[in-house]
Amino acid sequence: MKHPLEVRLASVFKDIRTGPGPDGRLAVAAPAESVVPVLTFLKEDGFDFLQLVSCVDWIREDQIEVVYLLSKYVPAGGEAEAGVTGIVLKTRVPRAEPVLATSIHVFPVAEPYEREMHELFGVTFEGHPRLIPLLLEREYKIPPFRKDFDTRKYCEDFFGSVPPVGEKK
Amino acid sequence: MRELELYFGPQHLGMIGNFSITLTVEGDRIVRAVANPGYLHRGFEKLMELRTWIQNFPMVCRMNVVEPDSMEMIYAMGVEKLAGIEVPERAQFVRSIYLEMARVQSHLFGLWAYASMLGFDTVAQWAMYHRDLLLDLFEELTGGRAYHIYIWPGGVRRDFPEGFEDRLVSTLHTIGGCVPDYDAEFFNNPVFRERARGIGVVRREDCLALGGTGQVMRATGMPYDIRKIDPYAAYGRVPFNVPVRQECDAYSRIWIVRDEMIESVHMIFKLLDEMPKKGSVYKRIPNPFKWRIPAGDAYVRCESSRGELGLYIVSDGGDKPYRVHVRTPSYPHGLAILEKVLVGESIADVGNIMISMYVVAPEIDR
Repeated sequence: MKHPLEVRLASVFKDIRTGPGPDGRLAVAAPAESVVPVLTFLKEDGFDFLQLVSCVDWIREDQIEVVYLLSKYVPAGGEAEAGVTGIVLKTRVPRAEPVLATSIHVFPVAEPYEREMHELFGVTFEGHPRLIPLLLEREYKIPPFRKDFDTRKYCEDFFGSVPPVGEKK
Repeated sequence: MRELELYFGPQHLGMIGNFSITLTVEGDRIVRAVANPGYLHRGFEKLMELRTWIQNFPMVCRMNVVEPDSMEMIYAMGVEKLAGIEVPERAQFVRSIYLEMARVQSHLFGLWAYASMLGFDTVAQWAMYHRDLLLDLFEELTGGRAYHIYIWPGGVRRDFPEGFEDRLVSTLHTIGGCVPDYDAEFFNNPVFRERARGIGVVRREDCLALGGTGQVMRATGMPYDIRKIDPYAAYGRVPFNVPVRQECDAYSRIWIVRDEMIESVHMIFKLLDEMPKKGSVYKRIPNPFKWRIPAGDAYVRCESSRGELGLYIVSDGGDKPYRVHVRTPSYPHGLAILEKVLVGESIADVGNIMISMYVVAPEIDR
């Protein structure tokens, strides 16, 4: 049986898929252009707390998954709503050109998260007022949290390698 | 008046760890504040993708230097959720007691930082001494003082040693007996009250918009506590109060910290009474060298001493995590809320406000 929230979502958005997620959360998969409308809809529906914006680099499928985790500040609405504690909203963008619309006018807390994801995964959030580096001090050819970024090679190139014990001259 | 740019930090009294703010000031008033983190970025989340499920424990606990125990808990919870491991009853209670001890020592550390920042050196020394008494207990229980790595997927590493519960109770009584001294010297001290009251006001609507949790949220009158709304470990088994105040300022935030410490001590006593006296404290997990966890993702959360601590963890069916992202409470507090709350305050209060937000810089950078 479908949850009432799923039915409501499906009646408004035709291009999304919903299903039960982990721990009583509702998993929503949406195309990139629907993310902000879905977030707006869910915020008006009571999911007013954006816990996290994260990225997963699925290098085998050549896609980057952007994940939004939503929950409620004041839990437990009516009887029918019991069961859905939060939302996992996922969208996939191509690795070569990962572009999404920013969501900070819906959730202002997304500002530092989107900045971090731009820096670490190279995802561009269009409309973000300051997509400038947050944590790192250098420019990288490959965004450093992507799977094809070789941490060890980078360290050896940049800081020099230490010879293994016993090979020192 | 002419606007000037003032670089505040990265070394200053206003925060545990290195963190800088660029302030635009007009005379003594702050017009604009821009947070500038990254001095402690170690890329732990990336490094964790290169290590096995168990090898990651020394990494997670170093994300928050002050309170590594919630980090262990959240990572163990995430792994348990992905692998479908049930934790024995007694281990749940041991975990709760351990986490409450960690909360008290973390709050005492925070009190030390706050008191020494404002020049209350006597109170700072008391807080550090009382924290050390708790660290002795941690050392007895786990072998380590600062980083413990005690919580483990499936339970905890070992049971309480002989007579540990009595020593814990007597240490907590020693600390609790000094609460009137703390009140007289610090919390009710007019010098402190006048410096902290009315500054750094974070309203409820700002908290809701900018992801505030923990003391910052509870100082606005909202009893938002993960231990109540989404109970984990043994928190669902014992009654406890969530301290709340209405004033939204720095003074009310530090009073919530004080009340939480007392509540945690009472909770430890209740947990010790309710705890099953016998039973295993861990469930055997598969051989860690060959442990592959089924593909999937999970978001788990717990109430650390600073607010909602969350972990988004993804497995692709391998022997290492595919992606780890920690939602630390200091992240929205230190980046989004701090930039907003500093506007209009005076330069002299910056450190005071920052430390009352209870932000730990290593948590922001990870």
